[in-house]
Amino acid sequence: MTERLKELLATRALPHDGIIGAGSWCAEVCGDSDITVREGVAAQLLIVDGDCTAEVNIDVERGGELRILHVVSHRSAVNVAVAMAEGAKCIMSQLVVSPSDTRVVASLMGRDAQFDFGGAFVLTDDDAASVAVDVNHISSDCVSRTVVKGVASGESHGSFSGLVYVAPDAQRTNSEQLSRNITIGNAHIETLPQLEIYADDVKCSHGATVGQMDADAILYMRQRGLSLTTAKRLQIEGFVDDVVLHLSIAGVEDVLMELMAEKLNRL
Amino acid sequence: MLKVENLHATVGDKEILKGINLEVKAGEVHAIMGPNGSGKSTLASVLAGNEKFTVTEGKVEFEGENLLELPIEERSRKGLFLGFQYPVEIPGVTMANFMKIAVNEQRKSRGLEPLTAAEYLKMMREKSAIVELDAKLTSRAVNEGFSGGEKKKNEIFQMAMLDPKLAILDETDSGLDIDALRIVATGVTRLKREDNATVVITHYQRLLDYIVPDYVHVLYKGRIIYTGDKTLALKLEKEGYDWLINDYKEE
Repeated sequence: MTERLKELLATRALPHDGIIGAGSWCAEVCGDSDITVREGVAAQLLIVDGDCTAEVNIDVERGGELRILHVVSHRSAVNVAVAMAEGAKCIMSQLVVSPSDTRVVASLMGRDAQFDFGGAFVLTDDDAASVAVDVNHISSDCVSRTVVKGVASGESHGSFSGLVYVAPDAQRTNSEQLSRNITIGNAHIETLPQLEIYADDVKCSHGATVGQMDADAILYMRQRGLSLTTAKRLQIEGFVDDVVLHLSIAGVEDVLMELMAEKLNRL
Repeated sequence: MLKVENLHATVGDKEILKGINLEVKAGEVHAIMGPNGSGKSTLASVLAGNEKFTVTEGKVEFEGENLLELPIEERSRKGLFLGFQYPVEIPGVTMANFMKIAVNEQRKSRGLEPLTAAEYLKMMREKSAIVELDAKLTSRAVNEGFSGGEKKKNEIFQMAMLDPKLAILDETDSGLDIDALRIVATGVTRLKREDNATVVITHYQRLLDYIVPDYVHVLYKGRIIYTGDKTLALKLEKEGYDWLINDYKEE
């Protein structure tokens, strides 16, 4: 599956010095890697995990723009740290379909930097996974948005923790954080959104929900001839698609949907 | 086509339908009227197969088969359509994708190949024109952000796509302005043929100016207490239900 992703993206493997130019790149992470996006460069990065522990450190220099797609489909523990300089922008989407621990730490170091994160985890059977997204607003006038949607079925267990930290100097911060979850059967999801704010002129919102499938919607779809399984799958797809697909790199939507469909068949 | 005999149904331990008898033949239009809480929507839900209700007694035959044995989706694939009083929003699922799956599920159950993309698009264009549904709506999520009128038009659009043998329309006219009502009702009339049938549940005679019923039934306290022709609806509009209910009490 990730092979097809790489082909679609026509990605190149990371250079030794980790400095990536414009275009698409692929980081197959095992162990640690350092990646830099130079001033004003716009690049795309596909991060795929192996069965391992890894640490990825990314610097986006002034005015640089990086789109990241992070696919977690192995048993792994991956930390991704992104630091954004003045006017830099990072748009990251993440799809987790395997037992794993991932942590993303985004630091908005320079003014007017922007971080947009859309993630989804889909867990079945006895999967256990945790997703953490920490956003550090260090400089003023930065914008961040985090949306993570979780689905857990069977005996699986998922957790989301999200921290938005706003430093004393980070005035006029604009931050949004949303965690929405659906549990099916005996599954559990914990969600822990946190705000730590030391500046006084900020706009920060956060929200978290854990709910079940919408029985009325299932009934409606079945009345139109969809089987119970199809109706459930469609609802879950609809629930997570918007975050992952909207933020993802153009052209790979089909592969992501297929990856998700494989998982949804096990719900 | 549809034969309901002595149908009793409960929700929880409350009996709502208390012995419904109703026969609908191909080519017919039936209207079911009655005061609030008389069981009209329950009847529609029970026929569609909503598992919230328990059938405690009676028989329902649809096209010669025991309808009550079939799950909801099977009833749909066999040609029973329910137009919802409150169409449900399904975030993230586009109307086009939803209907494509629905149409192809129905085709599969009838031993037909799925439609090609071109065939499907053509079908959507033709059917959305019947209810003057803005083509843009089909690329939006099911009913999400649709106005009241658009939701009801969308119900009839789905009815057109699925081409049912029997359509039960549960208060499709409620909450519609005059123009939307005309469009929805005209749509239903255009879909009417000799080999299909329609049951409209309504509070208002107004809808029946467009969809002219062969029979009008009055449902009260879980039973059909009176059946007449289209003039009954006019009389009810003028005089209310009291005269019927009083008659019924005296029985």
